[in-house]
Amino acid sequence: MKNQFIINLVPQDTFLHRLTGKTKVLLFIAFIFYTLISFDLRLLLPLFMISFFVLRSLKPNWKIVIGLFSFIFFMNFINLLIYWLVDPNIGNYYTNSNVTILFTFNSHYYISLQTIWYLTIRHLKLMTSFMVSLVFILSITPSELAAGLYGLKVPYKICTVVSLAFRYIPDISNDFENIKISLQARGLEMDKRRLNIIKRLKDNLFILLPLIVSSFDRIGTIANALDLRAYGLLKKRTYYCEHEPSKFDYIFRNVSYIVILFSITWIVSRFIWVPSTRMWYPFES
Amino acid sequence: MQKPVIVFDQFSFRYDSQQENTLNNINLTIYEGQKVLILGQSGSGKSTLIHCINGLIPFSYPGTITGSCRVAGMETTHASIFSLSQEVGTVLQDSDAQFVALSVEEDVAFALENQAISRDLMIPKVKQATDKVGMTDFLKQVPFNLSGGQKQKVSMAGVLHENVNILLFDEPLASLDPLSGYQTIDLIDQIHRDNKTILIVEHRLEEVMVKSIDRVIVMHNGGITFDGSLEALLRKNILSQVGLREPLYLQALRLARIDYYHRNNIHNVNEINLEDIKDLASHFKIKDKQTNDKERDTLLEVNHVSFAYDKQNVINDVCFDIKRGERIAFIGKNGAGKSTMAKLICGFVRPNQGEIRLNKMNILAMSIREIGEKIGFVMQNPNQMLVKHLIRDEISFALIQHRFTIDEIEARVTEALKICDLYSMRNWPVSAVSYGQRKRITVAAILALKPDILILDEPSSGQDYTHYSEIMDFLDALNKEHGVTFIFITHDMHLAIEYTDRAIVFSDSRIIADDYIHQIMSNRDIIDKANLKQTSLYDLAHKIGVSPQSVIQYFIENRRSI
Repeated sequence: MKNQFIINLVPQDTFLHRLTGKTKVLLFIAFIFYTLISFDLRLLLPLFMISFFVLRSLKPNWKIVIGLFSFIFFMNFINLLIYWLVDPNIGNYYTNSNVTILFTFNSHYYISLQTIWYLTIRHLKLMTSFMVSLVFILSITPSELAAGLYGLKVPYKICTVVSLAFRYIPDISNDFENIKISLQARGLEMDKRRLNIIKRLKDNLFILLPLIVSSFDRIGTIANALDLRAYGLLKKRTYYCEHEPSKFDYIFRNVSYIVILFSITWIVSRFIWVPSTRMWYPFES
Repeated sequence: MQKPVIVFDQFSFRYDSQQENTLNNINLTIYEGQKVLILGQSGSGKSTLIHCINGLIPFSYPGTITGSCRVAGMETTHASIFSLSQEVGTVLQDSDAQFVALSVEEDVAFALENQAISRDLMIPKVKQATDKVGMTDFLKQVPFNLSGGQKQKVSMAGVLHENVNILLFDEPLASLDPLSGYQTIDLIDQIHRDNKTILIVEHRLEEVMVKSIDRVIVMHNGGITFDGSLEALLRKNILSQVGLREPLYLQALRLARIDYYHRNNIHNVNEINLEDIKDLASHFKIKDKQTNDKERDTLLEVNHVSFAYDKQNVINDVCFDIKRGERIAFIGKNGAGKSTMAKLICGFVRPNQGEIRLNKMNILAMSIREIGEKIGFVMQNPNQMLVKHLIRDEISFALIQHRFTIDEIEARVTEALKICDLYSMRNWPVSAVSYGQRKRITVAAILALKPDILILDEPSSGQDYTHYSEIMDFLDALNKEHGVTFIFITHDMHLAIEYTDRAIVFSDSRIIADDYIHQIMSNRDIIDKANLKQTSLYDLAHKIGVSPQSVIQYFIENRRSI
């Protein structure tokens, strides 16, 4: 089975990869929270830059990364275009400024500096969270993820579901392919060009029954394999892949806490203490 | 005085879902350090017996227990499955599904993780266990890159932690190629030398008995019909009575009218005492072979076909022909290319180079569906093929897809049902029949299309000797009476010898041999390259000083008369 995902199953050896699962999960939570609360170039741009350099340190497969990046970039762009089509004034609500019109199409559609600013920040925010997620996905293995979640007090049964999913989804997709071709050989037409979508969906249902039956067979064996090796014996368990935290783990765990604290302070001081819908806009006039 | 570790005392068990007892009044004592082989057909209760020992009964399979079963001093009805798991290690049949972690080392550590052992204690234990099974070089490997044999070694390592003294193996040979199977048996033998108690459940006696066994237990209909040494078992006529296969060399001796019952060491082909028989070779006379290879027409031509997956050649410049009515075996180790070749023939994947011609037509121009009318593919696991509720609907499925007329469908379904001996069950739900019958349904479903060639992936897997013989004899009759051409993709050397004429051997994406089966099976070089293993016929031939070709050919010619 060829692994077609960009997920690593085998830990690599870069600085970030060497951190423990717990630290990585914590960093991810902290920085996703940070991007979520910030709608501000001063916060987003540094993180975007940093995540780019971190990504580079992971020595990823650039071909896949660039492909993915372009896809997300483009989809977001379409999304923003729709925002603008629905309401060309959208940027004006969030900036406390007079409208600076740059270009007019007709009486309804125009482009203002404020809207451009707003949409750019929005795009940057989405791309930053994408970069943070990408760094996270590329730096962690599913086992470390399970161990990391357990380290953050998530019940270990949930953690096991996560790692079992990564273990068996490729097998199930393999089964799916096999069932599909055997049905095709028996005459089920699945050529996209020759069939409409309803018929195709209906035919895909045929695959479902054998897929469920064979998956259930497997689930039975998995359950036995877990029981026979005393899974569920104790209230706690340990993880082989969760190695002893290093000095850097402690540093980065503290960094995560600081980032979370900062984010909370930021949101409280800017939006709750003094309610405001405004964003930071340097070209106020 | 040996210490008893497993004691069944008037033990019976009935699954809640069933009417009758699966195990009936079992009295059995197994002593520390014994190596026991448990033989029996499917449904004889041998797997149930294993589940009673490891605690899955009653933990996962509810039912009614009477009598007592004590394992390492614990009464299994009162002990938890967890405390039993500290004493008993079980290696399940499906080596892929029981690999629960995402790397070798984590899977070996899994039981230790559950006991919340700290990581610095786990590391040396994992190292020790993987050392024992020879997987230390693969610690970081992911399951997707391991062969069946390697996964099985990992499963063994996973239960080998120091306090586990009883090891249970549930059909360890089921999905392995012959050489990996031999290595597994060898490894079990090494583990046994560490004074572990070993129970092996198998129906493949011949493959297990290559290493010494202390004791054999034969189960039949939920009871124990034999309990003693291997030698004693082979002297009695029990195996055939309970539907198990006798070792090939004994079958061959019988065919050659050599009486072996009173001889010494009949459990070991190399030590069996045959010295007093004069002119042994004359017993194995092959009839003058009248070549009935009358000019058959060529059905399938494969010309210089190559196929690459992710830039890696899986099939490399392969050529062969198949004539109408032939029975072909595709053999070779996992990943050698035999399954991919079958997929290429069926059009599931298309070659990068070369061409495949069916009845002189290039199949590249045909869709999967069109090829499917001519070439039928029966998957290994029938559950992956069955999509309908009723048996007859399953068989008419392909015909409806091909838009035959109602009368034609009716006629063909009836014919296929009758050929496959399923007619009386035609209105049964598919889910109500056994695994072997499901396999038969899949064959019927494909036969209804009247294909020229039938390709079967591991037709013998998951079936004991009786059911195997039934399905294979049935396929053989299709070949003889209806002229269907067969390709069997298989690891099973018995199947290759008994039911095929010619073998095409794959190794590292190429064909390394294409010849009569008795030639292949007596060629040491090819056998080694393709991860195969000689059967005991080969050893017998050496023992009596006859060429292996003659003994194997003699066996093939005469086995019909058994």
